[in-house]
Amino acid sequence: MAAALANPVMRRLLRVPPAYYVFAVLLAVLWVARPNMLNLNIMGIFVRQIVPLGILVLGQLLVMRVRSIDLSGGGVILLINYTISSGVFPGASMAFFIVLALAIGLAVGFFNGLMVGVRRVSAVIVTLAVGIVLVGFVQYLSSGKPPGDVPGMFADIYNTKLGPVPTPVIFWVAASAALSLFLSRTVFGRFVTSVGENVQAAHFSGVPVARTVVLTHTLAGLFAGIAALVQTASIAVGSVRVGLDLPILAVAATILGGVVFGRGEGGVWGPFFGVLSFALLFVVMTTFGVDEPGKLIAQGLIILLAAIFYGIRSRSN
Amino acid sequence: MTAISRRLTGARGSRQGMWLLPLLIVLAIALWLSLQTAQFLNGENLLNLVPQAMPLVITAVGQMFVILLGGLDLSVGSMISFTTAVLALGGPAWALIPAVFVLAALVGFSNGFIITRFNVHPIIATLSMQYILLGITRVLRPVSGGTVPDIVISAVAGSFLGIPMPVFWGIVTLAVAWKLLYGSRFGLHLFAIGGGVSSGVEDAAHNFGIADRRNIVLAYVICACFAALAGIFLAGRIVSGDPNVGLLFELDAITAVAIGGTQLSGAIGSLHGTVIGALVMALLANGMNLTNVSPFIQTTIKGAILLLVVALQSRKKMGL
Repeated sequence: MAAALANPVMRRLLRVPPAYYVFAVLLAVLWVARPNMLNLNIMGIFVRQIVPLGILVLGQLLVMRVRSIDLSGGGVILLINYTISSGVFPGASMAFFIVLALAIGLAVGFFNGLMVGVRRVSAVIVTLAVGIVLVGFVQYLSSGKPPGDVPGMFADIYNTKLGPVPTPVIFWVAASAALSLFLSRTVFGRFVTSVGENVQAAHFSGVPVARTVVLTHTLAGLFAGIAALVQTASIAVGSVRVGLDLPILAVAATILGGVVFGRGEGGVWGPFFGVLSFALLFVVMTTFGVDEPGKLIAQGLIILLAAIFYGIRSRSN
Repeated sequence: MTAISRRLTGARGSRQGMWLLPLLIVLAIALWLSLQTAQFLNGENLLNLVPQAMPLVITAVGQMFVILLGGLDLSVGSMISFTTAVLALGGPAWALIPAVFVLAALVGFSNGFIITRFNVHPIIATLSMQYILLGITRVLRPVSGGTVPDIVISAVAGSFLGIPMPVFWGIVTLAVAWKLLYGSRFGLHLFAIGGGVSSGVEDAAHNFGIADRRNIVLAYVICACFAALAGIFLAGRIVSGDPNVGLLFELDAITAVAIGGTQLSGAIGSLHGTVIGALVMALLANGMNLTNVSPFIQTTIKGAILLLVVALQSRKKMGL
């Protein structure tokens, strides 16, 4: 085992995030089992469904690169879905809802950031607690019953296409590219990398550690707000259960994409392919008739195996 | 004055953390409830309090072992649901009850093994275990139903020498936990390993010749077994298997441990503090039910308490 890991070719291959391998394997499975599904229209629909997750992952990878985590995304999505669909603001314009959603996301993210970066509270506990506070609050407001419909303009935008590619997918790719440039070209991106690599070294080199963590969490909240808008547009009705499993899927996709706790490595495109892998995984599992419990087990196993993959690799280095 | 406040919040450098203050909170809540509602001091309600609190007490005590190490077990909620599902499979009690503990030990062992041997963060390892167990539970029992062995039901609902059975569950749990924590080498090593983790020197205990991996794995096994015990108790109360009974139980357990003065970064905490913390949560739940607080807002209140308690704890490490 150790000798195999020391082999230069092996080491090179281990450096590639598992997301790419998983994506390739799933694509091959689908190509063998259901070749007729691999056309642009059908794939477009499947990928479009996964866009909320993809946008949430952009926030997740940011916080995970500074050794934190954000599990409050489910609560944020639920709260925004409720405010849009419950008719609390009758006749409000689309712009108002968008601003409101982004404001909710920013506020929750900022709160998480303060708790994690300034109070130095465990990020898992803070964001989990914030998540259940929000979920309980929405369920209290709605008494457990699904609220009403979402204004039609959301679905209208969601259903547009640019050529064969659905608009939400283009939006997701553009947002990923923007974040990728932001992380590689700005001073803030350098700060994120250095905090992720070694908090103490970053602190003594003059990096504003607390501010960086607060900012990444605020951005993660913003991405959760955007993901909530897309998710709300995609289901077009209010729900008291929407998006609850998204945070854990986001963590899974991010780990799969090569962003690991305790190291400032990993880019934007690894997690991007992690999300695509999940899109394919759901297609494959649905075509093979795997039901909801099977999906839960698969999610758990994927997180575990990806984490073990990195654990072994870090030990061999 | 400073002497009093030090007494209440736990002296600086104390290994037990603050537990007197939470005890006062318990008394304050009890006093407030008895003034607020006539039903609280009602004999029936007081008798119900023990079985209501017991699952949380048992789970929180188990959770305390891994928290003292600076770890965390997020899979206990699923473990509880899983246990009720296994008990409701239908089969002889002499086979099912040992099977539950063997399975729990296996889950705890996998958690500990993955964390220590594969270098995986405890939160990630137990979070994925939570999902895997939840999936298996839903395969075994998609909706609640089935019946658990009679002996389990009578062991929870019956009474012995005129004393309700749940009291004995509490005594056994506390005796076992007391022995493990304060009467064994394992307990001492637990504090030593946690002390290293909380001060940022992960292998401090290892360097002093403590078999840290073995003890960490053992702590996760103990945590899972206590969760299984809580699952058996709950199965006896609801008389069936329920895939959702343990939902969010891990958060209640963590909150209870944290309220009891145990530091989530490890090494500081006490058994009596954890029991007091669990009592705070149980009294709160009881009081909110008596005063007709919506169950949905109860979730929010519990989450807010967790936030408040962890925000009051300071620690050196940042992030996870």
